[in-house]
Amino acid sequence: MGKKKQKIVLPPDLPPEVPDEAVEVSDEDVLFVRENREYTGFLSNLDTKSINKHVTRVADVKEDELESLYERRLKKKSLDKETEKQGLEVDPVDALPVKTLDGKLYYRTVPKATQKSENEDKDEANTNNKDAGIDASVVRLTKAEKRAKLKKIRKEAKKQAKEGTEVEVEQIPQAEVLDEVRNDMTAEEANQKKKFRLAELGTALLTDPELNIKSLKEMLEISKDGDRDIAVLALQSLLAVFRDIIPGYRIRLPTEKEQEMKVSKAVKKMRFYESTLLSAYKAYIQKLLAVEKQAVYKRVAVRCICILLEAVPHFNFRENLLGAVIRNISSEDDISRKLCCATVKSLFTNEGKHGGEVTVEAVQMIADLVKASDCQLHPDSIEVFMSLTFDDDLGRREAQDAKNKFKSKNAKRKDLKVQKESAANEKKRTRKEMMSKTREEVTTELKAASLATDVTERRRMQTDVLSAIFETYFRVLKHAIKPRSEAGSSSQPAGSYPLLTPCLNGIGKFCQLIDLDFMSDLTNYLRKLARSGNSSDGSSKDVSACLTVSERLQCCIVAFRVMRNNLDALNVDLQDFFVQLYNLLIEYRPGRDKGEILAEALKIMLCDDRQHDMQRAAAFIKRLATFSLFSGPAESLAALVTLKHLLQKNVKCRNLLENDAGGGSISGAIAKYQPYATDPNLSGALASVLWELNLLSKHYHPAVSTMASNISMLGTGDNQIHLSNKSPQQAFKELSLEQDSFIVKVDLNAKRNKGNASLKQIRKGADLDSTVQVDENDVKRKLSEHYSLLHDIAENERLRGELVGTTLSLNLYEQYKKQKKRRTK
Amino acid sequence: MRPLDEQETTQVFEKLHKFVGNNLKNIVENPSHEGTDNTPGRYCFRLQRNRVYYVSESLVKRATNVKRDNLVSLGTQLGKFTKGGKFHLTVQCLGILAAHAKHKVWLKPTSEMSFLYGNNVLKGGVGRITESISEHDGVVVFSMSDVPLGFGVAAKSTQDCRKMDPNGIVVLHQADIGEYLRMEDDL
Repeated sequence: MGKKKQKIVLPPDLPPEVPDEAVEVSDEDVLFVRENREYTGFLSNLDTKSINKHVTRVADVKEDELESLYERRLKKKSLDKETEKQGLEVDPVDALPVKTLDGKLYYRTVPKATQKSENEDKDEANTNNKDAGIDASVVRLTKAEKRAKLKKIRKEAKKQAKEGTEVEVEQIPQAEVLDEVRNDMTAEEANQKKKFRLAELGTALLTDPELNIKSLKEMLEISKDGDRDIAVLALQSLLAVFRDIIPGYRIRLPTEKEQEMKVSKAVKKMRFYESTLLSAYKAYIQKLLAVEKQAVYKRVAVRCICILLEAVPHFNFRENLLGAVIRNISSEDDISRKLCCATVKSLFTNEGKHGGEVTVEAVQMIADLVKASDCQLHPDSIEVFMSLTFDDDLGRREAQDAKNKFKSKNAKRKDLKVQKESAANEKKRTRKEMMSKTREEVTTELKAASLATDVTERRRMQTDVLSAIFETYFRVLKHAIKPRSEAGSSSQPAGSYPLLTPCLNGIGKFCQLIDLDFMSDLTNYLRKLARSGNSSDGSSKDVSACLTVSERLQCCIVAFRVMRNNLDALNVDLQDFFVQLYNLLIEYRPGRDKGEILAEALKIMLCDDRQHDMQRAAAFIKRLATFSLFSGPAESLAALVTLKHLLQKNVKCRNLLENDAGGGSISGAIAKYQPYATDPNLSGALASVLWELNLLSKHYHPAVSTMASNISMLGTGDNQIHLSNKSPQQAFKELSLEQDSFIVKVDLNAKRNKGNASLKQIRKGADLDSTVQVDENDVKRKLSEHYSLLHDIAENERLRGELVGTTLSLNLYEQYKKQKKRRTK
Repeated sequence: MRPLDEQETTQVFEKLHKFVGNNLKNIVENPSHEGTDNTPGRYCFRLQRNRVYYVSESLVKRATNVKRDNLVSLGTQLGKFTKGGKFHLTVQCLGILAAHAKHKVWLKPTSEMSFLYGNNVLKGGVGRITESISEHDGVVVFSMSDVPLGFGVAAKSTQDCRKMDPNGIVVLHQADIGEYLRMEDDL
């Protein structure tokens, strides 16, 4: 069927082409035409358009080109035949020919074209269905657009050609246009062909990888194509293929000795398969790495690398892949960064796939990256550490090994301490590497014997990972402490330590794994950081104001976490951090700083701590009350919960609830409350009165007001002590969730508040609402009155002016009349 | 009774600084509300028979009425100069130190008695300890209910304390409130 159609479309065979000059028109002919004019009528009736259309296409080119043109056309025909056959089989109804009255067969061309494109899409989808992502769809879209564009161009060109023939201009520009069109068409055909080839090869590879392993090379060839779409498609289909055919083990190429040995046919075949696979894979990865540097291909390449690394982290050349991923982990591009981070995280969480070795490598690479870029990275790059998990029991299994570990830990510890002395550091590192190498040699044998990963190996890897992580964390902390002048004056004032927050989070998470000897350094750093915002002393001016309140609060929290997790034996009082918190409470601004962090700090530092100085507790109570006066409802409720907690624990501090100021003997050395003291111990808060509670009990938010009045009841009813189980964090969360709805609708919120107060609140809320509405109406009415009055006044003035004018003119007229009369008289 | 000369002042301040750190400023600038004046006076240091006293200015004025030989004591005694010329803090200054102390150790109730008999503080007896104490810092000892019991010198830094065994000495005893009974005559 296809053949027939092609025949119809093809132009009729031309007579051999002869140059115009060579055509000899004999005299007889001329005479004949002159004599029989009527015969020439057929010439005028000739459909020059259609003839030209058929003929000029071929006629304009030179002879040698003609041949190649026909060849190409034949090729195209055969190619089209295949695809069309497919298309026809799929949907024969559309493809049915139409027979016209003169007996010619017409084929619908439009549906076929669409069918074809559909087929293409299907093929593409087949190859890409697994990794079909945003990218693929984007690519396809552009392709479709391109195709449409091409069609349009072709149409235009045809039109032009038609016009050209009608006017019978010179044939040179026409030829040019046609050439162009042809080039376009051939390029597109080639592209199509390549795509089909890709699809074929891919499916063949997937069905029988051993037989068709050679076609990998051909696919690689296609991926070097200049056209972006083709290259991308090739890369993606290669990715799909590799992901499926890569074996679950690492390929080791046979040594020369092994190659010399005689092997069976099957082994030979296997070896050949593996070596070709490996070489192709290597070439592919090299291609990816090369392409990744070009902006056009970057995302595709990164996606391919990530998927590959995630799917086959055990396979050869993973170092290269990992290197590329880590390089992109803090890239500017959001998409590729997210991809890389997700990949690294999945590597960390699925350690079973690669036995943990990749984790070690990745962590060390990130550590190096942080070092190289001087801590100016995207926070995501450190955040990935949070998904690491460590087996705590690992160390406790064998006592002997534990000793070993302790030694290595010691080495690591020293290692970290002398970070600055890089020479010594390197020496130690090399020594460590030597050690690990020898150990590896031993363990590989063992591993070969027993497939299970043995404990010592895992422990070693864990130590490596830990040391790399803490090296990174300490580097970040150190960087943050560094004075501004050293860090570089060009850096912006705020947020110039992007890694600090994730770093603090990480330390908080892994603090139980920190060695005791680090602890002093760590707390020193944290103390410095927490203090760094204090601009009170001139010495710290250069460091001051570089950390936000939230970050400093976080420092305090982390310090407490570290202490809590490590100090079962000794109860240490973190006085400095309490001082910081005391001062930070004033600096806190509801909109600017994160309330969750504040609530967490209050919980950890004030609620969970068992003992407090009386002075300090009193100072904090006073300050919290002050704080809740000038912050939003959520924060102030968190503060009030903490306050209540403190009051319940410290019975003596309930003196603050009494009405007479001056704590007498228990107020200590300071007889007067000093609200501006920076040290809670010196504030003399016991001499003050909690008058803030009275104000707070009239707070607009019902939860806050009930809480405040509850607290003020504490002083009188000593017996009914019930520890509230609500933490400041919970309180904060509840209220901050409510906050939005609270502003919009008062009574809705009040219903949600539990307790006996709800009824009252509803009424109050309703009142509020109605008053608001009444107010609005009032205002409207009054405004309208006001404006109508104004309008009346203006109108009045205008009328009065008119009146004056008319009276004046009347007077004038009368005068004129009088004068006239006088004159006439 | 006379003001301290320069050398004596530095000796006293150095000793106090070990215990209170930067809070020394607060001790010196502490306003006093003693006397009839409405404007708060200041505290000053006075030497009387080798003993150093922390006295409010108004009291100093009034004390000039007493003959030097007859004046036994005035204000709060901080410490005394030994015959060798060194300055020692005595237990009477505990109130001032406790109010401004930088480094604190809280004792468990079981070991309070031992400390009040003049013994050193062992690690087992420590209920709580301030972070960031370094070796040879002055430490004020409290009971768990925040009653100051005495003071001493840290034998180990806080970090080292963590690894010590429970019988190791944390604070070397210097003075405790038991002395009011034990050495009634000397004071």
